[in-house]
Order: sequence, then structure tokens, then C-alpha cells
Amino acid sequence: MKNFLKKVALFTLVSSIALGASKDKGHLLIYAGLMEDYAIKSTREFEKETGIKTEFVRMSSGETLARVRAEKDNMTASVWFGGPVDAFVAANEEGLIEPYKSPVADQIPSKFKDPNGVWTGIYVGYLGFVGNRELLDEIGAKMPQSWADLLKPEYKGELVTAHPGSSGTAYTMLSTIIQLKGEEEGMKYMQQLNKQVRQYTKSGTAPGRMVGMGETAVGITFLHDAIKYRKEGYKDIIIAAPKEGTGFEIGGVAVLKNGPDQEAARKFVDWALSKRAQEIGQTVGSFQFLTNENAIPPKEAQEIVGTKLIDYDFSWAGANRKDLLVKFSNATKTRAPKK
Amino acid sequence: MSNFRIKLETSIKNMKKMFYDPILFSTFTFVMVILILFILLPMFNVLKESFTYNGEFSLIHYRNVRDMHENFVIILNTLKLGVVTSTISTAIGFFFAYAMTYIKVPFKKVFSSIAILPIVSPPFVIALSAIMLLGRRGYITRTLLGIRNAEIYGFKGLVLVQVLTFFPVAYLMLVGLLQKIDPSVEEASRDLGASRWDVFRTITLPLMVPGIANAILVIFIQAIADFSNPMVIGGNFTTVAVQIYLQGIGNFDMGSATALAVILVLMSVSIFVTQKYYISKKSYVTVTGKVSRQREKISEKGIALPIVIVMSIITLGVFIMYIMIPLGSFVKLWGINNSFSLEHYRYVFDLGMKPIRDTTLLALISTPITGILAMIIAFLIVRKEFFGRSFIEFITMMAIAIPGTIVGLGYIITYNKKPLVLAGTAFILIIAFIMRNMPIGIRSGIAALQQIDPSIEEAACVLGANSKKVFTSVTLPMIKPAFFSGLVYAFVRSMTLVSTIIFLVSARYNLLTVAIMNQIDVGKIGVASAYCTILIFIVFIVVGLMIFTLKRMGINDISE
Amino acid sequence: MRAKRVKFENINKIFITGDGKRVNAVKELDLDVEPGKFVCLLGPSGCGKTTILRMLAGFEVPTQGHIYIGKENVERITPDRRDTAMVFQNYALFPHMNVYNNISYGLKLQKIPKKEIDRRVHKILELMNMKDFADRMPSQMSGGQQQRVSLARALVMEPGVLLFDEPLSNLDAKLRIHMRDEIKKIQMQVGITSIYVTHDQAEAMGLADTVVIMKDGKIQQVGSPIEVYQNPINTFVANFIGRANIFKGKIISKSEKECEVDILGVKFKISQNVKKDVGEEVQVVARPEGIVISKEGYKGKVTKSMFMGAYHEYEAMLGDLKIEISVSNPRNKKNYPLDSEIDFTLEEDSLHIIEE
Repeated sequence: MKNFLKKVALFTLVSSIALGASKDKGHLLIYAGLMEDYAIKSTREFEKETGIKTEFVRMSSGETLARVRAEKDNMTASVWFGGPVDAFVAANEEGLIEPYKSPVADQIPSKFKDPNGVWTGIYVGYLGFVGNRELLDEIGAKMPQSWADLLKPEYKGELVTAHPGSSGTAYTMLSTIIQLKGEEEGMKYMQQLNKQVRQYTKSGTAPGRMVGMGETAVGITFLHDAIKYRKEGYKDIIIAAPKEGTGFEIGGVAVLKNGPDQEAARKFVDWALSKRAQEIGQTVGSFQFLTNENAIPPKEAQEIVGTKLIDYDFSWAGANRKDLLVKFSNATKTRAPKK
Repeated sequence: MSNFRIKLETSIKNMKKMFYDPILFSTFTFVMVILILFILLPMFNVLKESFTYNGEFSLIHYRNVRDMHENFVIILNTLKLGVVTSTISTAIGFFFAYAMTYIKVPFKKVFSSIAILPIVSPPFVIALSAIMLLGRRGYITRTLLGIRNAEIYGFKGLVLVQVLTFFPVAYLMLVGLLQKIDPSVEEASRDLGASRWDVFRTITLPLMVPGIANAILVIFIQAIADFSNPMVIGGNFTTVAVQIYLQGIGNFDMGSATALAVILVLMSVSIFVTQKYYISKKSYVTVTGKVSRQREKISEKGIALPIVIVMSIITLGVFIMYIMIPLGSFVKLWGINNSFSLEHYRYVFDLGMKPIRDTTLLALISTPITGILAMIIAFLIVRKEFFGRSFIEFITMMAIAIPGTIVGLGYIITYNKKPLVLAGTAFILIIAFIMRNMPIGIRSGIAALQQIDPSIEEAACVLGANSKKVFTSVTLPMIKPAFFSGLVYAFVRSMTLVSTIIFLVSARYNLLTVAIMNQIDVGKIGVASAYCTILIFIVFIVVGLMIFTLKRMGINDISE
Repeated sequence: MRAKRVKFENINKIFITGDGKRVNAVKELDLDVEPGKFVCLLGPSGCGKTTILRMLAGFEVPTQGHIYIGKENVERITPDRRDTAMVFQNYALFPHMNVYNNISYGLKLQKIPKKEIDRRVHKILELMNMKDFADRMPSQMSGGQQQRVSLARALVMEPGVLLFDEPLSNLDAKLRIHMRDEIKKIQMQVGITSIYVTHDQAEAMGLADTVVIMKDGKIQQVGSPIEVYQNPINTFVANFIGRANIFKGKIISKSEKECEVDILGVKFKISQNVKKDVGEEVQVVARPEGIVISKEGYKGKVTKSMFMGAYHEYEAMLGDLKIEISVSNPRNKKNYPLDSEIDFTLEEDSLHIIEE
């Protein structure tokens, strides 16, 4: 008995030490805004290539923003990887980003990167509508084809979108509408749209899943997410893009100011912008378009290649985020859901 | 000499006695340090933080709680949940306990095995199955009954899940009490003219009232502390435990989070104290002394049959819920595409092994530490008279009443700043495991020790053994069964812990339960089920191994 | 109190134990108890006496046979509707009710008006000498007090038959004797038919009008205490009630009213009608107090000599035979120490022949 206890104690001691002390080639902590599987594979590949031990925490853009704000004085992560760049811009306004112009950024067109190196784009996703073919048949409605369509009576209570306060996706929708219609008209539209909404979800991808599951007829989400769900097996999903023009997100990568591993962070940005890094996405079910000119886009995204995009102004969107959100909350009397 | 003076002098003498026993003294100091650092300090910090705004003392957080309608509703929700779950669970638990004790029930083992299920299974199992069976795409609601809009998320679904999870707790508590009622008391009542219903109404039920009240309170505490179920299936129905997490982690608003935490602690500790010190004392059942005869069970078909049928339905329901998990893990897309698929497991083994590895390793490390520490502290409490003993005992009792979310919150506040930067390390997770599981181990250690005649240890002492020798050569061997069952329990709980560690997961250590929750969150029921199945599998293997080792070491009886 | 008659007709009770064994607990029981009589079922544990009591109360069902209380065949009647009341071994008081409520419990079930209940309860409390105990809880009372409440609770029901299941076995010796006297006194006062189960033969002898001795489920002998003591029907009864020395004797001569028996060489005339013939062997019971010191008789070696106050106990070896002798009022009589030789003989009038 005594021997047994001694052995156990020794084992415990040794493994604790082993776990506690693991410093080797360098270390990197990332806050990831893109899908978990994507993040897992990316960090794994990066680690394989460079030997730098890389770990990530997956959070939505709203959560990440809150986190880096709180960690202003002791930033624990060094890279913000994925998630819409609006939040990056907002973070930069508060001095939380370390601008970095990567050499690999030469392969990225200028409309997909910040001129001062605050953020560099890695993927592009189009905003649009996702619908459930079967449910639509049941309620006797057609797939909406325009923003105006959404206000039609047949969609009342059958619309689901994320809340702009918690989701980058929905914020993109909000700023797209404002940029399309101007602030006054835009807020009026959002008020009317609010009446059609059955539920505001916390995450931007949830509408796609709910529509796929048949819990609601129509959702607003990024089209690549809808495609992803369809591929997963939700066979009743159909997609459409609004005729008036739609917004898009650029998923970016940036270095966090005062993060502990600046050198490793820069290495990661270089890697993330490369063709092979960007092509990882489609292997794990992320079907966005890619920013690197040499990267091959996913074939699943073919059907939406011709979508009409508005001239989305990211700086404006980022700078006015707080303001717009407050106005939105007041206009619709809603708050960002916590769950 | 006044009574106070006598007490004081005895305390001083005990303290002096301790100085002459260096082993006792160092152990005592060590234990005190641990308790202060890892239980008291975090709690204190939570309290402090709740009164701090911008670095100064302020009541603003509490005012926010009172004034913000949302928070008020959440507190009300929590109380509502506690009351409803505890009463329904206790009613069902009592029904089961009564049936098992009084009615001739076939296949007793089958029915009593559901009692151990909540202990060995992860917290999401029932919630997950509820979604799979009764949700929008649920097998029962959609496929069998054709209901389109079944809403499982929300208050009703949450109560269902909690009741199924907690009624076995009530069952275990009540069945022991019912068996202690002397059958001759009930026979006397019949003899004096009472029908079976009269006996139940005037004798059995009144005798059980303290026990029933006890069960209700115990379950109330667990229901309001529950984090994982409301998180997963609560829908728009938010409870305080969830809100603490959302404010603390989602919003980094420590002020709100801690104020709510303090309120939750007050709720559960006050109920705990009521239960422990008021109701426990009022038991009549044991007055009659030893039970004089075996109870004759009712076997009249008219009474027994309907009861057995109801029991079977409920038990069957519970079993189905547990079977759903492995089933769901092999289905491609539940409710949409029911074909067999291994893709979820492929995903887990390809991309998702880290949480499994991390959790199992951490659990394995913390388990022996928990067991040994618990035994040492139990020994100190039961056998040694020393200054501060009741303090230690009190702290460890309180630790059971404090909900896990609050402990997690306390850790993250305390261990985020220098010099105690432990957040993000394995240490803090191991410590969390230990601190959550130790109190229960201490309780069972105390119970085991109290059954041993102290004169055996005194004999060893007189023959020259010092404290350590007495402990290792006499006490420990005699409490082996309690020790090992404590180990089993600690391991299982570590593997299935959610509420505390949700605050502590970091990039470096991702835990299994959190991974499951994340998967449910994004709707990947298949992967969540796969993880759950693997978790249950690991638990069974490790527990099986432990029991096997015990048998080889000659210990045959672990009653859990 | 309308005391009732109890009749057992050819009762058999067979139990099947958990591991499938058949236990024949009561065999072919025929017993008739007249109203108002105090009957003790006496025997070692496992002899079936408690089973019989429980069958009468209704907690067990006979495998075969009929039970009558008064004129009714009670087979189909559940315990709550039988006209019996039982005093339990461990008192079985309702722990959550005070004395008053315990006692009034059965009356309340019969929906007797409160005033009447009150009157009866207080009357019984007085009878038991427990007037001030009405508000006490069982946990606040001693064993003896609890037993009295238990008795009161049964008596207040005014049942046709009163049943006692070894009610005094949990009390200490002195209290037991005191309670025994109380029970007897009350029973005689109230005149209720009582069936009392015990393994204590002194208790049975003191209380019973009729003693029923049982062994292995079968009745051995039914009779008054004097009957079974002085004329035991077999060696079991002889040994169970009091102590007995059993001698083997040979019939030398016999007549209608008496016979002569040779016991180890000494002849005795015994006034008893024997069925066996001259020359056959019989067993003769001589109680320790029926052996007297005398020069004419036997010589034994003393192996035990204990002065007990009112009498002196000896044990003497006669060859291989161990004889127990009890000399009463030993003052002024010769004291035989250990290893000495003791002269004794058997008192003829106290001898009893057992023909088995």
C-alpha cells in the first residue's frame, strides 16, 4: 500500500512538472475568429512547418473584441486570425492592433488589404439569403431575391438573423443596408425588418443551421456558411443573393499590439496569406472566396461567383460601429442576445 | 472558572500539543494554506470584486442587479427553476423509493441501476438526447408524432432534463430512510384498524417529511447551481449560473458577474445551512431503533401492477435517453439524414483528440491527490483535537454548497494577476479538480473513520507509533474501501466537470466537456454525441480498472 | 368487553425461503381458546408460536386450515378489520405522535366522537398509571413506559382478542417481573381473551391460565401451569418447563391407579396409570426439588455445590448420570461440599412417568 502511494506521488509530481514546463522553439497564442476546424488545421500546419508551438482560442468577433479590450494592458495573444475586419478596424481605433505589412501581401489585391497594414484579408464571403426549400413550399412562399422581398407578409415570423451587436455577419448586414440606403432610410428598413424576425441569434452562422434544420424558412447569413451546411447534409438548403447588391466580409489577419510573441506573430501572418494556407479552408468545410491571387477558390462556391457587390467601406463600417449599434438597439428595442 | 475560560485554555493546550507533534503541525499548516489559497481567497476576491468599480468601493453592481429588469428576471427564473425541479424530482424519487421498498418489484437490480447513472455520466447526456428525441427534428416529436414546432429549448425542456437528471438523487436519499422505518410500526397501525392508504397517510408519509424536505433542498441547490443544462437547452430562459458566465467571459464584465455570483452563493448557502442544521435534526425514523423484522412487500396485483408499470416507463425513458448518445454518434445528420456514418468519430480522432487527451490526463493526475488529501483532512477532523479544527471542517462543508461557476469565477479573478499567475496553466485546472472533489471525499472519509473504534489507533500510539505511522499503518488500511471509492468518484467527477472549468479553459488546455458544449452550440449533434460516447467509455474503462485493481488487492465491497 | 373465543382448526403454515427451501412452520394446529382466558404460547425460538400469533392478527395467511374469532371465519378479513389488537415486542409506538395520539389512533380511525375518545384515553392512562404522560413523545420515555403505552393503545380498542408478541423481552429483569404482574392484573380486571407468546417459561407459568408448549411447529402439550409442570407429557416439556432429572425405570408391577417402578435398583410406588406392561422400560421425571437427602437411596459424588440463599443447588454424579438436586431452606441442614458424597433419594409423590 505504501509503495503504491509512493509510486502514485512520483507519477503525479513528474507529470505536473512536465506539463508546466514546456518551452521550446517558440510559442504563439492566437485568437481565432474563423471556424474551429479551420483554426485547428491551420495552426497544426503552421506548427508543422515552422516548429512554433501554436495554440488558439476560438471566439466570435464580438467576444474577441471584448477580450482584447480587457487585456489592453497585458495582451496574452499575439494574433487575431479570421473574422470580419470591421472588428479589426474598431480594435485599431482603440490602439489594440500592431500594423504589419507582410511581404506576402504583394499577392493580395489592394481592395482586400488595409493600406497601412492594420489588417490583411485572407478570405471573402458574400452576404445573402438562405432558405429551406421544403418549408417555403409548405408556407407557400418563394425564395426572396431582394432586400425589399424580405419585408413581404409571407415571411413574417419566418426570418432569422444574428444580432448585429454580437455577430460580425449581422453587423455586415446592418452596415450594408445603411450604405445602400443612407442612415435614415436604412434604420427605417431595419425597423420594418425587425417585425419579420422570429429570433435574433448570437452567432452569424446559426441562421444557416436553423434554416437547414427546418426550424425557420429564411435566414440571412454568409453564403459560404449556407453552402457548408448544405454540404454537411442539410439537403433542403437553397441560396440567393439580393438583387440590389450585397455586402461582403473580408476575413482578416492582424497582429495584436503588445502581444508576447511578435516575431512568431509576423511569421504567422506571412504564412496565413500564402496560397497553400488559404487553400486549407475548403478542406475543412469553409467555402469562402480567397484573397491570394494564386489561390484556387473552392468549386462549391461557383454558383455565386456573379453576385452583385456594393462598394463596402470597411473603414467607415469599423469607425461607426459603436454608433450604429446603439442606433440599431434603440430603433428595434433589441439587445444582443447572450446565447 | 467560567466556561469561556475553560474553552480557551483547552484550545491553547491543544495548540501547544500540536507543536510537539511536528508531523501533525506541518500537515495542519499545509492544509490550512491550501484551503485559504484555493477556497477562501477566491471567494473573498469574488466578494471584493463585486463591491469594486473603477478601483473604488461601490454598490453599483448590486444596484444594477436590482434595477436592470433583465437581471431581476434571471434571478426569478433561477428560483422558479429550483422550486419546480426540486419538487417534481423529489416526488418521482419518492415514488421510486416507495415502490422499491414496499412493493414486490421484479428485476430490482434494473431499477436500482438507474440510481447510479447520474454519477457516471457527463452532464449533457440527457440534454442532448432530449434535443434528439423531442426537439424540432426530434425522433419522437417529428418522426413519430409529426409535430412541426416542438420547442424543447426553454423552461419546460430544461425542467424535463433536470428532473430526469436529479430524481435518482432523491431516490437514493429517500430509499435509505424508508428502509429504516420499522415495519412493526406500520403493522401496529394496520392492527389498530388502518387500511393501507391510512397507513401511508398517517404513518409513512409523516415519518418521511423531514427526509422529503431534505431531498427537496438538496436538489434545489443542485438545480440552481446547474450550468451545463441551462446553457445547452435553456434557450431564452437564462439562469444566474449562466448569466455569470456570459457576463464574465462573454462580456468581461466582472462587476456584474461577481455581484450575481454573490447572490447565487447566498441563495445556495442559506438553503444548505437550513438543510444541514435544521431539517437533518428532525428525523423521527431512527428513534425506533433497530428494525425488528424484514418488511413484507405488497404483492397484490391491484396495487403493485400499475406502480411497476409506471416505474418501468420512467426507467425505460431514462435508458433510452442514455442509449441515444451512442446512437446519435453514428448518425450522419440527426433528423435530416439518418444514415450510418463514422464521420463524427473520424473528425474526433483527426482534429479533436486534444480535449480528450488533456482531460483524461488532468483527471488522472488530480485523482490520487484528491483522494489522499481528502483522507488526510478527514483524519485530522475526526481524530485530532486541535485549534482550528472546526474551522477546517466548516470550510470543507461550505465548499460543497458553493456552485461551480462561482469557484471558476473566483479562480479566474484571483489567478490572473501576479504573483499568482496560474490561469492558463495545468496547475489551476488540477487544483480546480481537486478542490471541487475533495469535500465529498472528506465527507465520506469522515463517515468511514467514525465507524472505526478510536481505541485501535490509540493502541498503536501507546505502542510507540507517531502520527504518520498511525495513519499509514493502521488508519489507511482500515478505510481502504472509502478511500478507493473516493478515488473513483473523484475521477468520474473530474472527467465530467463543467461549471468550474468553463472559466478556466484556455488555449493550452481544452477540456472534453467544454468541447462537447461547443459542438452542441454550433449544432454538431453528431460530434457532440461522439465525444460523449468516448467520455462515457473512458469513464467505464478507468472505473472498471480501479475496481479490478481493488479486487486484486482484496477489497471487494465499494458501495458507491 | 365482549371477549371472544378463538379457534384454530387444523392449521398448517408452510414458508418457502429465498433459496427455495420449504419450511413447515406450523403443523396441524388445533387449539380452542375460551373467551376471557389467558393463553400462553410457549416454546424455543423457531417453534412457530409467533407465526401462529401473526396468523391470528392477519399478517400471515395459513396455508391450510381455518381460524375463527368469535363465530367468524376470519380468513378473508384483512388485519385492519379483525377484532384483534396487538402489543408488539419492540413497542412499535408511532414515533411522530405523542402518547395521547398514539393511544387514540385506532379510535380516530373508527370515527368515534372526540369526547368519547378523550374519555377512553384518559381512563386507560389512569389504569396504566400514566396520567401525566399524555403529551410525551416516545423518544422521551423509557422502555417500560413505552411498553405500557403500547399496551394502553391495544386495550383502549376494546378488542375481542388481545395479542402479545413477547412484549417484555426487551426489558430488564426487574422491570419484566413488575410488568408481568401489571399485565396479569389488568387482564383479570378487564377479562379480555389474551394470547401471549413468549420463550420465557417463568413468564408463561406466572401469566397463563393455559400454557401451550410448542416445538418445531407442533403442539407438545396444552394444560394449566400446574398440569404441565407436574405432569409433563414428554421429555421435551419436562425439560423446557423447570428443570428435570429423567431416569430410566422398569415397571415391576402395575394396577389401575398405580405402579411400582425400579429405578437403578431402588423401588418406588407411583400413583399413575401406565399403559406399558410389566417389564417394559419407562422414563421417570424427578424435579430437583423432588429429590431429598436420605440415607436410603443413592450415593452420588458432588460435582457442584452452590448456596443460592433460599435453596442450595447440588449437582451429583451417579455413575454417568448427572443429577440436579435442590434443597430448600438449607439453614440447619447438612452442607455437602464439592467432591463429597451425597445421599439422596426420590420423593415418590413427586415422581411422574413419561410414556413416549
